[in-house]
Amino acid sequence: MRRDSLPGTVLPPGSTDGGSMTDMSVDIRSVSKWYGSLAAVDRFSLEARQGSIFGLLGPNGAGKTTLIRILTTLIRPTTGEAFIEGCSVLSEAKKVRALIGVVPQENNLDRYLTARENLELHARMHGMRSADYRRQVDALLELTGLANRQHEFPDTFSGGMQRRLVVARALVHRPRVLFLDEPTTGLDPQSRRAVWDYVRDLQREMTIFLTTHYMDEADALCDRIVIMDKGRILEDGSAGELKERFAHAHGYELQFRTGLDRYAELLGRLPFVTSLVRNGEALRVTLRGEEFLKPLLDAVGTDDLKGVCLREPSLEDVFIELTGREVRE
Amino acid sequence: MVKGAFPIFRRDMRVMRRSIFSELLAVVAYPLTLYFAFGIGMKGYIGTVEGVPYPVFIAPGLISMTAINAAFDESAWSMWFHRRVQRTIEEYRTAPITVYDIVIGKIFSGFMQGAIKGLAVAAVILLITSFRVEAANLASYLFFIVLGSMIFSCIGTICGTMVDKPENIGRIQAVVIVPLVFMSGIFFPLSSYPPALLPFIKLVPTTAIFAGARQSLLQGGVDGGYAANLLVTALVAFVAAVQTFNRKMAE
Repeated sequence: MRRDSLPGTVLPPGSTDGGSMTDMSVDIRSVSKWYGSLAAVDRFSLEARQGSIFGLLGPNGAGKTTLIRILTTLIRPTTGEAFIEGCSVLSEAKKVRALIGVVPQENNLDRYLTARENLELHARMHGMRSADYRRQVDALLELTGLANRQHEFPDTFSGGMQRRLVVARALVHRPRVLFLDEPTTGLDPQSRRAVWDYVRDLQREMTIFLTTHYMDEADALCDRIVIMDKGRILEDGSAGELKERFAHAHGYELQFRTGLDRYAELLGRLPFVTSLVRNGEALRVTLRGEEFLKPLLDAVGTDDLKGVCLREPSLEDVFIELTGREVRE
Repeated sequence: MVKGAFPIFRRDMRVMRRSIFSELLAVVAYPLTLYFAFGIGMKGYIGTVEGVPYPVFIAPGLISMTAINAAFDESAWSMWFHRRVQRTIEEYRTAPITVYDIVIGKIFSGFMQGAIKGLAVAAVILLITSFRVEAANLASYLFFIVLGSMIFSCIGTICGTMVDKPENIGRIQAVVIVPLVFMSGIFFPLSSYPPALLPFIKLVPTTAIFAGARQSLLQGGVDGGYAANLLVTALVAFVAAVQTFNRKMAE
């Protein structure tokens, strides 16, 4: 039931502000998804305002894609509830699907249909009449730079072009909320920038909910970022707020004349080093506290040390600090 | 409910139209080879079967076989490909249509492909051989082709939904579909079975498809027992296909 369109409708339990709820495009309430004893998403709650670009960051297996699949009605949560533009993903799944556009992690274009036919099929599945969708399809093909290749099959396109076509397809029915699941994974820098530009242009018309593990992407695009891991929210705020919050994270850059590998191994073993990233000929470390600077310098000695400088935290530092260093499969 | 099935059915017909000639060539080649190898090659040894020349005896079964094989192939491989390779089923599922729309669209695509390919084989056999049929018997014959294609389209949809490894679709064809087809009297009369076994053989839906179709085409009329068998099987297969797909999508 659409809460914003029915006067007097009772809000679901947990609503705190009936007036502002109508501004919420995505409203997730204590959603959990269990696979056996594994919680892919664990009591996850958040709200995203209309017209915002919302970024969900997390390492592989953090639960981002599971959450998107719940919000796009592809899977049902084990417990909890979520609303898209006021419609329940559980009881009003069909209405939700009419309101959303989805760009999945993997391109799922129909390779036996041309680029134009892919968009037209999508329009017809959304119940659009040909008079309505023809102009929209023309405009989207133009916008994505695919107009001159609209009668070709997606297999003949580059990865970037296929990605643009998937984005165009998700926009044919003019969705209110666009879900982008790692939209630029595998793209070259130029194609990534092109996708970013489209996303920024779209913000005026719809809410954008994107998942990514590219920090620069989140930094460049998102009004608000949630970092999640193991199905739970770790931090929530704008890119600036998150960096500010972690300004206490004592980050230093150490430059060595020689023996970088040896020093990287040494630093990795120190218990007070919370993150370690190799940056060219330097090592970036984050310490548990300021008091650990002296033990750090004692450990590395001065033989090969060329310089030490204090470093402003990046979004990547925040991410590593929160989600740890180990590589996830 | 069926409204959402139409764009999917239309998409499949558009794709089929693009490659219709090459597909028909491939589809027609197999039953025609069987027709010439057995119908012509064995004609001198077999002569007539139940009063009918052997090539005429096997022709209705070959047409029906083409239709049901094509329906099974299209439904099984299309569903598997769209689900596991192209992942377009996921794209369909994020549109405001139901899973019933998707599975019904796919079943009707398979059924239509089976019917078209069966009729193409019939046309070729009529064109290049001396096999002739009474025009008045065609409607009852089509009844069996349509129901047979529908049943095998549903079975194909179930396979394409359940099977994750493509080689298993081929195994199901080899172990289930081919024996069902070949043991149902395409090449020999049902009277060859031991009398004690015959009542059970007649209950097998493929027997109803082949024996019922042959009887309709060569003698006219519709055998009530075979027709009832196929109607019930078609209904059960349809419900099973829809439920299987629905359950798989809910996983």
